Amino acid sequence: MQYQSNLNEQQLIDLAVNQYFGNVDKKDLEAVLNCFHDNAMLTVQTAFTQHEGKQNIGRMFKDFFDSYDVIVHRDFTYTVDETNGRIVASFIAELKDSEGNMSYLHNTNFWRIRDNKFQEVYVYMSGENPLV
Amino acid sequence: MSQYPYEYYVDIVTKQYFHGVDNFEIGRVLDCFHKDAVLQVMTSNTLHDGIDAINMMFTGLFETNSRIWHGNFIHTVDIKRQSICSQFSVEVTSRDEGLLRYENCNRFYLEEGKYKKVYVYMSGENLLK
Repeated sequence: MQYQSNLNEQQLIDLAVNQYFGNVDKKDLEAVLNCFHDNAMLTVQTAFTQHEGKQNIGRMFKDFFDSYDVIVHRDFTYTVDETNGRIVASFIAELKDSEGNMSYLHNTNFWRIRDNKFQEVYVYMSGENPLV
Repeated sequence: MSQYPYEYYVDIVTKQYFHGVDNFEIGRVLDCFHKDAVLQVMTSNTLHDGIDAINMMFTGLFETNSRIWHGNFIHTVDIKRQSICSQFSVEVTSRDEGLLRYENCNRFYLEEGKYKKVYVYMSGENLLK
């Protein structure tokens, strides 16, 4: 599906990295969900796990936030396709659970933006999927 | 820095690289890479460093499988950063395991119109050994 987006390059980066991942790392669920359309879809492609609709995406993030004391996304590399409302970022996800165990993932996200929010998000993970 | 148009990135990925892979044309595939390019499979932490290592990997892939198909592409192209990230389906008929299907993505980073770094994520077992 090709969507129409009204965001420019810097706004696409801001949406994906600051508004989305910045608020994931702060565990601010409302701000995270504000990045998605009501009928958005988030797919972890490397695990064939799909979350359809804001409500299901919210449930998944709540469980994710409860599972880790510390969540950090860093070292982003962007590929930005302003014409088509698409942005890709590779990054390191650093997760610390309640027992102090650390996980490091080298992931890639693909976002497709309709208007000014996520319509489709695809996650490719280098390791086990924590977004269940 | 040379500026290549949007369609150059789509064409090198689909019409040259994956067309070459799907038709077992090793020369066409290797023409896409710089000599010191690296190809890394992120989902299995497998690194192929340099054109000789990449050549060896593809030779093994071609010997192991009788049919390879890449399609259903969706591209994200960034001319300024000389990169293209592609999502796609893969069907492979393995000589040992029969038909395998994957939903993969690749991140390609180019310099002067050729691949310098390629990162691969696979939805199943690593084929690029």
